[in-house]
Amino acid sequence: MQSFSNKPAQSIYSPRGCTLLHVEELTPQEKLFRFVLDDGSALGHQPGQFVQLSIAGLTEAPISIAGSPTRGPQFELAVRNVGTLTGALHQLQVGAKVGIRGPFGRPFDLAALQGKHLVLIAGGCGLAPLRSLIQYCEDRPQEFASVQIIYGARTSHCLLFKEELKAWQNSPHLSCCYTVDQAVPDCDHDTPYDGEQGLITDLFEHLFERCIFTAENSCAVIVGPPAMYRPVIEELRRYGFTAPRQIMLSLERKMRCGIGKCGHCTIEHLYCCTDGPVFWLEEVETLRGAL
Amino acid sequence: MLKQLTQQDLFELFDRLAEQYHLLMPTLLTDGSRELMPWPGSKAAAIDGIIPSMAGEPIQRKPTSHFFPQTDPLVFLKPDGTVSVPQPPDKPLALCGLNREDLAAVAFVDRFFSAEPADDVYLAKRSGALLIGLSGHCGDGSHGDHFLPLAQGLCDIELIAEEPNEEKKEQEKQWLAVVYNAVGEQWLSGFAAGSPQRLELLRHKSVTMGHQQQELLQQASRLLQADQVPDSFWQEISSRCIRCGGCNFVCPTCTCFCVQDRTTTAGTQRSRIWDSCQLDAFMREASGHNPLGTELLRTRRRIHHKLVDDPKRWGEISCVLCGRCDRACPTGIGMVAVCEELVRRFTS
Amino acid sequence: MNGNKPSEMNATLTTCPYCGTGCNFYLLSGSDGRLSGVEPAAKHIVSKGRLCMKGWNAHAFVHHPDRLSTPQLKRDGALQDCDWDTALATVHQRLQAIADRHGPDSLMFFSSAKVSNEENYLMMKLARAGFSTNNVDHCARLCHSSTVVGLAETLGSGAMTNTLDCFDHTDLVFVIGSNTTEQHPLIGGRILQALRHDTKLLVADSRKIRLAQHANIHLRHHNGSDVALINGMMRQILVDGLEDRDFIARRTENFDALRDSLEPFTPEYVAAITGLEPQQIIDATRLYAGADNAMIVFAMGITQHSHGVDNVRALSNLALMTGNLGRPGTGINPLRGQNNVQGACDMGALPNVYTGYQQVADPQARLKFSTAWGKELPETPGLMATHAIEAAAAGSVRGMLIMGENPMLSEPNQTLVRKALENLDFLAVIDIFPTETAQLADVVLPAACYAERDGTYTSTERRVQRGRQAVETPGDARADWRILCDLLQRCGIKANYESPAQIMDEITTLTPSYGGISYQRLEGGHGLQWPCPDADHPGTPILHQEQCTRGKGRFSPTRYRPPKELPDEKYPLLLNTGRTAVHWHTGTMTRRSHLLHREEPHAFAEVNPQDAGQLQICDRQLIRVSSRRGSIQLKARLTERVPAGQIFIPFHFAEGAANVLTNNALDPESGIPEFKVCAVRVEPC
Repeated sequence: MQSFSNKPAQSIYSPRGCTLLHVEELTPQEKLFRFVLDDGSALGHQPGQFVQLSIAGLTEAPISIAGSPTRGPQFELAVRNVGTLTGALHQLQVGAKVGIRGPFGRPFDLAALQGKHLVLIAGGCGLAPLRSLIQYCEDRPQEFASVQIIYGARTSHCLLFKEELKAWQNSPHLSCCYTVDQAVPDCDHDTPYDGEQGLITDLFEHLFERCIFTAENSCAVIVGPPAMYRPVIEELRRYGFTAPRQIMLSLERKMRCGIGKCGHCTIEHLYCCTDGPVFWLEEVETLRGAL
Repeated sequence: MLKQLTQQDLFELFDRLAEQYHLLMPTLLTDGSRELMPWPGSKAAAIDGIIPSMAGEPIQRKPTSHFFPQTDPLVFLKPDGTVSVPQPPDKPLALCGLNREDLAAVAFVDRFFSAEPADDVYLAKRSGALLIGLSGHCGDGSHGDHFLPLAQGLCDIELIAEEPNEEKKEQEKQWLAVVYNAVGEQWLSGFAAGSPQRLELLRHKSVTMGHQQQELLQQASRLLQADQVPDSFWQEISSRCIRCGGCNFVCPTCTCFCVQDRTTTAGTQRSRIWDSCQLDAFMREASGHNPLGTELLRTRRRIHHKLVDDPKRWGEISCVLCGRCDRACPTGIGMVAVCEELVRRFTS
Repeated sequence: MNGNKPSEMNATLTTCPYCGTGCNFYLLSGSDGRLSGVEPAAKHIVSKGRLCMKGWNAHAFVHHPDRLSTPQLKRDGALQDCDWDTALATVHQRLQAIADRHGPDSLMFFSSAKVSNEENYLMMKLARAGFSTNNVDHCARLCHSSTVVGLAETLGSGAMTNTLDCFDHTDLVFVIGSNTTEQHPLIGGRILQALRHDTKLLVADSRKIRLAQHANIHLRHHNGSDVALINGMMRQILVDGLEDRDFIARRTENFDALRDSLEPFTPEYVAAITGLEPQQIIDATRLYAGADNAMIVFAMGITQHSHGVDNVRALSNLALMTGNLGRPGTGINPLRGQNNVQGACDMGALPNVYTGYQQVADPQARLKFSTAWGKELPETPGLMATHAIEAAAAGSVRGMLIMGENPMLSEPNQTLVRKALENLDFLAVIDIFPTETAQLADVVLPAACYAERDGTYTSTERRVQRGRQAVETPGDARADWRILCDLLQRCGIKANYESPAQIMDEITTLTPSYGGISYQRLEGGHGLQWPCPDADHPGTPILHQEQCTRGKGRFSPTRYRPPKELPDEKYPLLLNTGRTAVHWHTGTMTRRSHLLHREEPHAFAEVNPQDAGQLQICDRQLIRVSSRRGSIQLKARLTERVPAGQIFIPFHFAEGAANVLTNNALDPESGIPEFKVCAVRVEPC
């Protein structure tokens, strides 16, 4: 048997204990988990950061934080059931203990967003990390000129945060518009989908028709599946998002360590976990395999 | 500090070092390869006829494996939720017999793991460890005259084998010891002073030794940075890759790892283990998306990482030209082989 | 794995536990007795400082928490821990009771290509001397039994004729039915290296394997059409006058019969059977026969057919006709799949032979062994493994001892295998992990893995090499040879060996081809290639040099017989099975090795995009594959590697087990199942 000291954990690889407080089903595949650190401290994150969630026996998985730090010491993670660890997580009951390392990564550049018209674009699961920024905007509306949320999902069943989407639509500080590639006719306990249908970029024309976006007054943030970035960027450019520091995006990679050591998230010379996951477009656009 | 040691002095030094360090020495193994193995003590060495193999071919296993082993415990998670970390080593390591390339590799990996946040698991093994370089007339003859170029730093002590004298026996071999820091001085203060003139001669000889392969790497690096190498080249090279991972596993500057949990009733041992970017699953995500999802991209990354990405990030090419990947590759597409082909084909 | 002591303080030279190539590496361990890694042996004649991905991770499963560490006995329907004496006494008594009541031939002993020569020897001694039955066999039945039969008949020795070094100086390699870069990666690597020095490559394989990308000619003939293809090539050789007349005259017999048999195999006729163009057959023939020195390399693609022996005969005829035998860079070279499948055969873990292929039916051989062992020995050859499964299902075999094999996943038609094993009165399993087979056992005996015991292994090039103990067994687990010695003693057979070296000493006195082998000679680390008849003999890298083992090489005519079950309207696709590069057989070791498991974590089926389009299946989609014997679910992997009309499923995965589907149609001579061809239906789930 391995010999270990009894000193308290002090490695960069030691997870901190935290407790599951609340679980909510978002879709058949996704759940929202609310945790609190067992030592009572706040996670201390900023919008756009991620944690390494640890379950003994199943190693760790990088999960972006789905809530804003302005909402108190508890933190929320929206997780799709895709692998062994996320599958086990989906089985957990309130009160269960897991481990957390982090927060890690470069957050959304709030300073750069200050005072601007924000276009926040999410595709699929990308709404979870973007929600941390949306909530922040909701809580600090005075910091931004305007906030336009645009969200696209594959089917009406896959829409995340359905209630919140409606709340954001009705918020005096936010605008929100969403669409699905495919409306799925009936869902047992759900009302039929009556929202927009089509590609996310189809929404742009209507939303942007009276907008004049300049480098000084606006900034777009994109979080989505790999296939979404290029078409969305191309479309944004048509509406004036052409300057440096005008498009910010968050990339997803399979980070194993979160701290720039394991090598799993490299994009050429960059480490997605420490140099990102949030990047300015111009930092990664020419890097092979980034987008 | 410069000292002069006989073989007997050297053994005496090793015996003393072994009291405070886990001293590993180049040792000849059954199949004829040289590995860093525990110093048995000069008495035991005499009795068992075990002679440290101070001269010969490069050490087979990359020396960085002693600080970043193939299986490396990170934390232990107990069922009650508490977490413990590995105890620090009872004695630090002393690695003797590293050549210039291996020392450069340790220096690179030191820098990599020390970058914030510093990797405590690496540093627990590395901090306080002693590095003893080896150079001079103790090579395998592959450069013609058994001469290994001087490291001139990157270690605590450098042992430089002097030119063997025909009449003298192995036991009478003379060594110059260059000491680069206070720790080294503490161990070598008692020995006789060495001749600066002789050291200068050896240095001169080092400088005049060819840098052909260095130049090759730099040429290849420039071609890659200038985007002069088409994908068809990588397709061709990668079609010869049989996905053994050897190039990564033997590379002394490769640091990629994955994490494994092993659970018993006592708790979960979480360890990191060497990974290989030549595996399809290296970057594959649960969704199936894979930024390194083709052989072409993986082979390209293997070379790019050392010749383009690391220079961008760390300011230097991270191939130290130790030759291990070229020796370990079952199909002949190690770093030097690929660079030769690349430079030959794409230099206009 | 050690927190406070360096983890690479010890290095133990040993032989890789995976394929039959025979690579050697050092197992690195710390002072806590735990393995931390692997380093290839830099100077070893085979590995040369190289390994494949499996070899690099060969330490990874050794300390897995799933390792069996306590004997288990089934009580009240569940396996429960017990002590060794109870377990061993139960095994002995129950097997003996079955033998007493139903006769010794109601027992079956499965030996293993994963254990040492010494252990295989003890297992066959236990069956023959301990329980008086020749019912002993092992998984060579499923891989190269066709080779042993086919080459023994034509050349007199069922092993690889040449040595691996020959790949470095041959003019042509003809690879048929071997995915060499994945299944024997270091040999595949050598072939790829050879191509850099003007060696030509001819590949015949329905799948577009890596070697095919580098081949001068790649023939994608239909699975199971090999006899037609090879006969067609031989006919064309005679048409072109490319045969080696001198060799045929001096070194062979029965040529006229062969020549007559080839007459129907015109390029057009062969093209119709194989799905090739006539010109491809002619071109391939000229490529092969035009080389001064040509090596034939084959593996499961040739052997695992209901006409596997005929396939081997045909290849042997081809080599003889062109005089490609007995010289460096030539020969007919079956690549053995397991690290000791050659040794298990050499040691007589087969129903018809003692060690060194001495026939049990031969009274003189029987007298020799019965004298040495002090026991009357049975004279009728025993049951083959595949037949034993059928016999168990039918109720005539009632007790089994299985060592280090997992027939629940490895044998064809899993439904039948489960029925057979559940039907037994008593099943004992010796293994290192709780395999699918061990789950069905009445007694499970925890054994040592390769890293925990001494022994010798014989590689594909007949190289006998040492395996060495690097660490202790987990818990109460015991080395297989100690378990077998105990059972032998309980049967009244003297077996008080102190070490595997002593067992080898006994083997060498009884086995002419191993006569000169001793642990002392193997210490140097490079092994000895049999035949090595005496202590001064340097070993034999190349067989059949002056003459064939049997004297004259014998041409053995074959006729084309189609596979037993071909696609039809109801089951329109052909199922091909095999392995992946990162997994080993039934996955007991590799699926517990993190990197290997991560690379291929799930069962999958390779489907040609054309078929997928018709079936409306997309990549990674869950599909159901059904044959007349069963049905499984697994993910589709769309790839041009398989030709349209064929799907390929690796058999590693219990949760999508290819052998639920495969056909237990057997070759009449070798008893090998037709793993490479059966008919299936695919539908989206």
